[in-house]
Amino acid sequence: MSKAVKVLIYIFLSITAVIYLAPLLWVILVSFKTNSEIFTDPFALPKSIFIDNYVFAWTAGNLGTALLNSLFVCVITLILSMFLGSTVSFAIGRMRWKLSGVVLVYFMMGMMIPVHCVLIPLFTRFAKVGLSNNLWGIILPYLTFSLPTTIFIMTGFFKSLPGELIESACIDGCNIYQIFLNICMPLAKTGLFVTGLMTFVANWNELLLAMVFISDDMKKTLPVSLSKFVGPYNTNYSQMFAAIVIAIIPTIIVYCAFSNQIVDGLTAGAVKE
Amino acid sequence: MDKLLKDKKAIAVFVLPAFILFTFILFIPICQSVYYSFCDYDALTSPKFVGLKNYKNLLIDETMKTAVKNSLFFLIYSCVTQLIMGLILAGLLTNIDKGRNFFKNVIYLPCVLSSAALGLLWMFIFSPKLGINQILEKFGMEGPLWLMDINGFIILPMWVIAFVALWQYVGQSMMLYMAQISGISKSLYEASYIDGCSRLQSFKYITMPLIKPMIGTAMSLNAIGSLKFFDLIFNMTEGGPNKKTHVLATHLYEQGFKYFKYGYASAIGTILLVLCLIMTFLINRAFREDDR
Repeated sequence: MSKAVKVLIYIFLSITAVIYLAPLLWVILVSFKTNSEIFTDPFALPKSIFIDNYVFAWTAGNLGTALLNSLFVCVITLILSMFLGSTVSFAIGRMRWKLSGVVLVYFMMGMMIPVHCVLIPLFTRFAKVGLSNNLWGIILPYLTFSLPTTIFIMTGFFKSLPGELIESACIDGCNIYQIFLNICMPLAKTGLFVTGLMTFVANWNELLLAMVFISDDMKKTLPVSLSKFVGPYNTNYSQMFAAIVIAIIPTIIVYCAFSNQIVDGLTAGAVKE
Repeated sequence: MDKLLKDKKAIAVFVLPAFILFTFILFIPICQSVYYSFCDYDALTSPKFVGLKNYKNLLIDETMKTAVKNSLFFLIYSCVTQLIMGLILAGLLTNIDKGRNFFKNVIYLPCVLSSAALGLLWMFIFSPKLGINQILEKFGMEGPLWLMDINGFIILPMWVIAFVALWQYVGQSMMLYMAQISGISKSLYEASYIDGCSRLQSFKYITMPLIKPMIGTAMSLNAIGSLKFFDLIFNMTEGGPNKKTHVLATHLYEQGFKYFKYGYASAIGTILLVLCLIMTFLINRAFREDDR
């Protein structure tokens, strides 16, 4: 490749990178400004670091509680979906039964179905059994919608394990549960990491379901509690910017620390699809 | 060994919990939702079968027309632009060594961020008196009302939102293509250069055919993703101005959970479901057929 072409490529990529980073840096910058400063002097560095925005956003928006709620929901969903997904995948990928193909197709159906289509029936039913306005009421659908991808990827992993391993474990007198828990699960670590990551990221950012099912301020998850700062009556922009920063900063920090593993993991999951 | 792997009880223990959950949370509700779409049903009454009434009402609903138009616009726009931009970025990034990881990670970053938060952020960037318009003002230009203009067949706010969606999700397509391109053996390219291919020619004759199946995967992910599209629109315009930026998902949300017309919203949901199934089927057919 000639040098000129290379320079052109780098210029193009640099412009792209600026388009990606500028909005994120801008929001951090203005979140430290007072409301009038945003309009008079939007691009200069803030005159003094104005922390009050953060204090207000954190307390008035209940963002601390929202952060904990999000964490609770995502971690529980993560653990359950890994476990339930792996057991099904193990049964489909390794055990021999007539209906395994049919059951796999049944679970795969879930990949094509948008969550919007089940909102109304779930909403009315959950209201009857006391699951509306309850964090478990969003954990159950999150878990269900993460199962298809998890099962698809994990079945592939279990199928690729060498059969001799299971054979020798069997000769050593392991029962089927021990084979699953002690032999196959540790070997499918990569698969668990990939599916776990996909589940966590998707649920951490989910808005629609959480917005419909949760109305109590103390039970809202992070994306939902952000919407409190928008609206025609709210003119205090700087506080909204602080809230946006609080909402995305945890993800950005984790992403910066493990970006290569995260990008490769999420891609590996999608490639398998 | 055989007995162990055919153990019916163990299979039941492994499969049933997830199976029951899946049936109750997904399969039965889908059937219910399709049934509700043929019913008069709101927050106060119980469902009463009325046949095709909801669907007939959908035909004369102006907002529904806008929503279908916008959703289809979104579908086509995101399939086309994600394919082009994804391929360009993947092609460029696989051809450089220095800084590849940096650019890759930067472009992928918005994919893992909350689109609710990013929607708010972009709403401010495109708001009348902030962000882009402040920059334009510095150059003495008056910026348009990015998110409030309602002229044209596809109105300006839809283009803006579609751009933000591309910005957020192109990293996904790019990574899929990159994964596939870096799997292609280097010797193929070397052979093509010896035969006198230029880089562009080798991209056309070697890379493109070999990543065709991946284009199918990425495109069906894009298609379903763009039909489901909700967060960005909800936080950037909430369907306004004048209900002109509604898509199917936001229209469904508004009818179901603002006006509590459950039956009507279920009809929109059913249409969304059918569209998703058709798109998956079409894309799979177009890209998997000639694999054999």
